[in-house]
Amino acid sequence: MKLIGIAGSIADQSYNRTLLQFIAKHFSGLVDVEVLDINDVPMFNQDDDQTDGAIIQNLCKKINSADGVIIATPEHNHSVPAALKNVIEWLSYEVHPLDGKPIMIVGASYHIQGSSRAQLHLRQILEAPGVNAIVLPGNEFLLGDVKTAFDDKGDLKDQRTVDFLQTTIQNFIKFAKVINMIGETNNYEEEDLSAQNGTDTTIKGIDMNADDWLDRAANKVSAAEGNDYVKLDSGLLTVNQLDYFLKTIPIELTYVDENNQFLYYNHSLPTEKMLAKRTPAQVGDALDKVHPNIGRVFKHVKQVISALRNGETDLVSMPIPGGDPQKHHVMHYYKAMHDDENNYKGVNEWAVDLKPIVDEYLKATGQKLVKDPNAKMDAMSGASKKTTEEKPEVEVDATSSASKH
Amino acid sequence: MNGMIDGMNKFIAIVGSNSNKSTNRELLQYMKKHFQEQAEIELVEITGLSIFKKSIDKYVPQVARDIAERIENSDGVIIATPEYDHSIPAVLSSALAWLSYGIHPFVDKPVMITGASYGSLGSSRAQAQLRQILDSPELKARIMPSSEFLLGHSLEAFDENDNLKDEQIIQQLDGLFKDFLQFVDISKQLNNANTVNKQKAEEFSWDKD
Repeated sequence: MKLIGIAGSIADQSYNRTLLQFIAKHFSGLVDVEVLDINDVPMFNQDDDQTDGAIIQNLCKKINSADGVIIATPEHNHSVPAALKNVIEWLSYEVHPLDGKPIMIVGASYHIQGSSRAQLHLRQILEAPGVNAIVLPGNEFLLGDVKTAFDDKGDLKDQRTVDFLQTTIQNFIKFAKVINMIGETNNYEEEDLSAQNGTDTTIKGIDMNADDWLDRAANKVSAAEGNDYVKLDSGLLTVNQLDYFLKTIPIELTYVDENNQFLYYNHSLPTEKMLAKRTPAQVGDALDKVHPNIGRVFKHVKQVISALRNGETDLVSMPIPGGDPQKHHVMHYYKAMHDDENNYKGVNEWAVDLKPIVDEYLKATGQKLVKDPNAKMDAMSGASKKTTEEKPEVEVDATSSASKH
Repeated sequence: MNGMIDGMNKFIAIVGSNSNKSTNRELLQYMKKHFQEQAEIELVEITGLSIFKKSIDKYVPQVARDIAERIENSDGVIIATPEYDHSIPAVLSSALAWLSYGIHPFVDKPVMITGASYGSLGSSRAQAQLRQILDSPELKARIMPSSEFLLGHSLEAFDENDNLKDEQIIQQLDGLFKDFLQFVDISKQLNNANTVNKQKAEEFSWDKD
């Protein structure tokens, strides 16, 4: 489980930050906690909306992709620090990443109160309609007399305090799982298959659905081509070499970016011979242009992408029915791609016929296949967790992203 | 206590918002005009203040020191707060943090809390939190008890001359302001512990063991 930790203080020396860092370190076996910095967040002002700035966008992204948030608040004048309130104001104005997000409140203070009043204010604030976070009830963690609470390595000294903290975190993990399960049902509706939002790499000013998008877009950005070199993270190839390489990979690869735009496929076979049919003219299309808007196709595509984008699963796989099952078992895989900071960057989709691989294995090991009378076929793993004994619906085939039938 | 000289109280009115179009500012401007025969009300803006941050040398921006001095020299403070997320805006919270960081202009200072909001609740929850904040050891203001002025639907509350439209609301505000004047007078009699209180606020530190 991935959590974001926000220390409610911007003071250079903050015990609440120390507390979060201790949680991140000590409970790394239970949860993955990333502690975020709020030092540079500008003062909230309706007349100077900086929601689109890098600072708020980064906070927003990190929170969106996390399963929950731990806020550690000090107490200033019986309430939360202005700096923390300020962040919440930004995150409840034009963007609402805390909406429906499970939150756990902890707090440390120099005095015996351990931020008790600030925590109560914070609960009221997080419950406001614009914020709409879902705060873990009970499980108050108040760390008083904080100056003497940590040793010089930043570890909590008192074992009973550590044990209690562990209990509250375990409770929060359970709570967050349940809350996120409730939230999962609807958020796929927000997926924009028409790719209108754009992203920082979207090439603007050229109709993405045009048949000649590739040439025009490449021209616009003066794309590397031919013998131009491209530096990769573990290699240096020319564009031609990259093409030779990708075209000879014995699976069909498709690249869809985080804006739901179909950017690439390894074009080695003519369209009619492909397992998942693509044409060069489709390159650049928005996903709603490469899927037929019939039945539940769009809904299924949205569910798959949403599950990958929100980290509900890393991989969705589904068999493609049809054809002769004796000869082919074609699978589609949809794998979420991320950058170094774990931001969602799109889908790596590949289609592969597993039958030759299985045959090869059986031949090499001298075995044969026998039917399992109790088998249940998992038609679509990941996005929907149900299994079905029925044959997959025909529409499932069409949910394969960026394919036209 | 400059106001005492001509017998008229002098109040500092803090606009709890940094928005150019604030109905809380409008409310205070209205009060300044409406009560000009009864008191001298001076509006104070907190827009220029940075977010409160502790430092080793306990630095307080000059803007905050100036506001503190004006509060020290006044007979009382009126605060008009909007409500952001069930609470007072960060900009007001930050201003109050600066105004209690090694300086203590609010100690024993009579305070009247008002607030306006676009919705029907008139910043009720922000005002409740503000009371608790003003009650903390380093602010320790004298908040007028058992009084609340909540101006709901504030966008429609003023006419084209910036006057409150609703006669009933005006009556309520008149009554509360009269009470506040009396509260300020009584408060002036209750200064036996003031020196001690100031000292306590100065000695108080969240940083101390």
